[in-house]
Amino acid sequence: MARATARHPRLPWSTRLDKFQRRFAPYIFVSPFFLLFAVFGLFPIVFSLYLSLQVWNPVQGLGTMRYVGLENYVWLMDDPWFWRSIQNTLWIAVASGVPQHVIAIPLAFALSRGIRRFRHPLTAAYFLPYITSAVAVALVFLTIFGTQFGILNQALIYLANAPWSAWAFGGMADSLPVNWLGRAPNIKPAISILVIWQYFGFNVVLYAAGLATIPKDYYEAAEIDGASARQSFFHITLPLLRPMIFFAVTLTIIGNLQLFDQPFILTDGTGGTSQAGMTVVMYLYRTGFNWLEMGTAAAIAWLLVLLIGILTLIHFRFFGRSGLETRD
Amino acid sequence: MKKLLALALASLLTASVALAQTTLTVGLFEPLNEHLERVMDQFVAENPGVTLEIRTLGYSDHHDALVTYLATGSGAPDVVAIEIGYIARFVAEGGLRDLSAAPFDADQYEDLFVEYAWSQGRTADGRQIALPTDIGPGVMYYRRDHLATVGTTIEAVTASIDAYIEYGRALKQHGVYLIASAASAADALIRSDIPAGSGIYFDADGRPLLNSERFLAAARVAKTIRDEGLDAQIGSWSNEWYEAFRQGTTATELSGAWLGGHLQTWMAPDTAGLWGASEIPDGRLLSWGGSFYGIPNQTPAAKLDLAWELVKFLTTRPDIQLEAFRTINAFPAMPVTYDDPMFEEGLDFLAGQPARLLFASVAERIPGVLTFPGDMVAQEIWNSALSEVLNEGRDVQAALDEAQALVERRIRR
Amino acid sequence: MRAAVIADTRSVSDQGAASWLGRGLLYLLLLALALLTLFPFYWMFVLATHFQSDIYSAPPPMWFGQALERNYAALLARLPFLRNIWNSFYIAGMATLTTMFFASLAGFAFAMYEFRFKRLLFGIVVGSLMVPPALGIIPYYLIIQWLGWLDTPRAIWFPAMASAFGIFLMRQYIASSMPRDLMDAGRIDGASEFRIYWSIALPIIRPGLATLGLVTFIGQWNNFLIPLVVLSSRPSFTVPVALRTMQGLIQTDWGAVLVGTALAVLPLLLIFTVASRQVIEGLVAGSIKG
Repeated sequence: MARATARHPRLPWSTRLDKFQRRFAPYIFVSPFFLLFAVFGLFPIVFSLYLSLQVWNPVQGLGTMRYVGLENYVWLMDDPWFWRSIQNTLWIAVASGVPQHVIAIPLAFALSRGIRRFRHPLTAAYFLPYITSAVAVALVFLTIFGTQFGILNQALIYLANAPWSAWAFGGMADSLPVNWLGRAPNIKPAISILVIWQYFGFNVVLYAAGLATIPKDYYEAAEIDGASARQSFFHITLPLLRPMIFFAVTLTIIGNLQLFDQPFILTDGTGGTSQAGMTVVMYLYRTGFNWLEMGTAAAIAWLLVLLIGILTLIHFRFFGRSGLETRD
Repeated sequence: MKKLLALALASLLTASVALAQTTLTVGLFEPLNEHLERVMDQFVAENPGVTLEIRTLGYSDHHDALVTYLATGSGAPDVVAIEIGYIARFVAEGGLRDLSAAPFDADQYEDLFVEYAWSQGRTADGRQIALPTDIGPGVMYYRRDHLATVGTTIEAVTASIDAYIEYGRALKQHGVYLIASAASAADALIRSDIPAGSGIYFDADGRPLLNSERFLAAARVAKTIRDEGLDAQIGSWSNEWYEAFRQGTTATELSGAWLGGHLQTWMAPDTAGLWGASEIPDGRLLSWGGSFYGIPNQTPAAKLDLAWELVKFLTTRPDIQLEAFRTINAFPAMPVTYDDPMFEEGLDFLAGQPARLLFASVAERIPGVLTFPGDMVAQEIWNSALSEVLNEGRDVQAALDEAQALVERRIRR
Repeated sequence: MRAAVIADTRSVSDQGAASWLGRGLLYLLLLALALLTLFPFYWMFVLATHFQSDIYSAPPPMWFGQALERNYAALLARLPFLRNIWNSFYIAGMATLTTMFFASLAGFAFAMYEFRFKRLLFGIVVGSLMVPPALGIIPYYLIIQWLGWLDTPRAIWFPAMASAFGIFLMRQYIASSMPRDLMDAGRIDGASEFRIYWSIALPIIRPGLATLGLVTFIGQWNNFLIPLVVLSSRPSFTVPVALRTMQGLIQTDWGAVLVGTALAVLPLLLIFTVASRQVIEGLVAGSIKG
């Protein structure tokens, strides 16, 4: 009698569909991103890579590109302004990046576990700077940082002289009023202050959402075991918050190295005295749009990608294991 | 039958009129759009069948977007306004049409304009990429009361650069600054006394001039003013700058003639009557500011005639130019307009001085300066070097030598 | 120090005077920080009510002025502003809804599955964040032009759906809040993969989703470079581009601009209130589940 059963029996259609969707689900789920990316993301990336090997004045139209190989990159290696912009960017990235998180984590913790009332309005207050448009921020902060009449200097002068605070702040009276935006050494701190102001609330919200993933009973169990608040912060909160911290820090690394709006605003597009406030993206923009050297600008962009990539890779190497782990 | 014929004829006419309707897009920034909005109807009346669509963007946005449109080959308006600060961006061939070539033949209008404004729209290789519509002849606004306090005359103060600095020293005794920023003095000095055929930053052969005598002298003058504490160290267009005008803490300001109008209307209206206008010290002739109109390469051939008509309308028509002067304080680039009676009016803000005659006289004498593509780079490098000299105390020769090297590096590409 | 003064969650009567003081100090610190953060914002509103000459004065005014009506009228005279707000709202809204869906879907896949090329694909996602967008404007314009989408809202929100940031955020959030066994539980119950995502994962990640929605909405709202080149007619402008058209060569009507900015912030505040409620409620829900 012939064996009627084939090696692969024909399963009913619904079962085949089921197996299909189980197996291919992840691919189907990520495909919208990659389809769109192929159109809107890949082309610009390839275009700018190609562009970095050309000399091109954009005003003359697309057909006027001239191939020069790696000449743009070589030229940039010798360019003092390029290296200065890298230096500035790194300085500002660290000076504004670290406080963002050091402030935000305890703040998010305080907001979610430390207080009961006013959670909403306080979080909203910290988040507002993130919402404010760059134009409005520009106007307001240029005036805050003004030398003679700026609020910041007025406040510092007051603190240096008022009886109740002079003991702490009196020492700086001689260097007041600070010329925040005109003197080279002061520009970077001024920019960093603006960046911190704008982004720390964003991190607070991120961490607040992350804290939601930590069940309350963990804390209760810890209390029963006699742990103090500080101990539960360091032994429960921080470890469980790691994926969020990893994510937020990655964003800060990638984002702060690409700062453009804030330095542009505070230096009125010039980069400040001695280019002290010029970040890499600002230099990129000026090279491409002001000085019409699009090829060089593209090369700057890719050197920046290289820098960001290296730093992110280091970050992933050291913290990725725990940062990317899943719940179980 | 007749009715049918009439109907057919009417619809044919309507159709042909509709077909003949062309839309001309004009790219502008404030305040030029205010002017065009006012004179639009007149243009349409003179050119039936055209509709004007005005696209206004922010001042810097407009110029940035234009670069993008020129780069991609589409999207640019049919006629664009360009300000002097950005015109160097567009001198490269392929961006804006050469108006001196056919079918425009703009060179026939050259004599209608003040010499320097015409040449600002001309590239070193002889293409006229834009026509001037308004200009900013360089003048000095001064406070009459401070002049009186020190006890000198405006003629004495403007006799030479040294006399000007002397005035600053005398002012210092009375607790008044000479000028808001020493950098303005340096800028005035590099933009004047330029040999024919040169640009501000490049000579006739295209070589950078950053450490030439003219630049060194300019930087040294500024450094003297700064080191002796004669300037207020205030950047232009900051709140403190406006406040300095209101309070009268500075005695002079070097700028385009247009500053007077702004002082009067919004910057420092309460100081009316205390100011006067004069030539820049040492009789230096230069300009600060100016707007132009051009036609992008991508404007379709079918629209070229109308586009050119609009450019001519806005630049070569004395009545339209005077209208702009009246409404947006745009100083005309056409000397023939200077005969208009409004130029002889005494300006209350300047204590009755008929300053427009002064502006016109300056405008007609400013020598031509060519625009080079490297101007934008050179200007930023110069500004950077100057601020290092002034703010960080850097040595003039060293700073300018470095600036020269930087510019040479960049334009070699 | 802050962690140390965070009082325990026992009832009030159990706490002594010391922790009252501690809590009060905490509130004070938080309030001070909030005031510091809010100040520039507050000032923006103040300046919106002043005349030009006052805005430009030094020291600038600290309290509200008289010019609100005038500034508002000037704004509306120059721009079809309410239309602009609607445009911004529509574009940002479309971008947000689509991003929330597609990013959470992809983040779910990266978090909950093992599949071939996963690491490579995720690397591309994160890698794409590293390329500065500044130069992308020219190729972007070329694509939009080729598609024939110039001067349409679609040109702005459609490409925004591919949000690498969103995928990254969602992946992290899902990975840390949803145990894998829930997947198996769902499968045993006969749910399709998509069903598991929709009915099991989405409710769990509500705070993260709300955060993503909020951040996306704001980012799209404030984005001006792309709308600047892609939109060409004034009625189709979004708020940032429209307000910037008032920045003139010498002079800008800052009073009108700031009124516009203040008005434009209101929808953002609305979205924030809605979204943060989700986030906060998630805080509570998260702590209930064990």
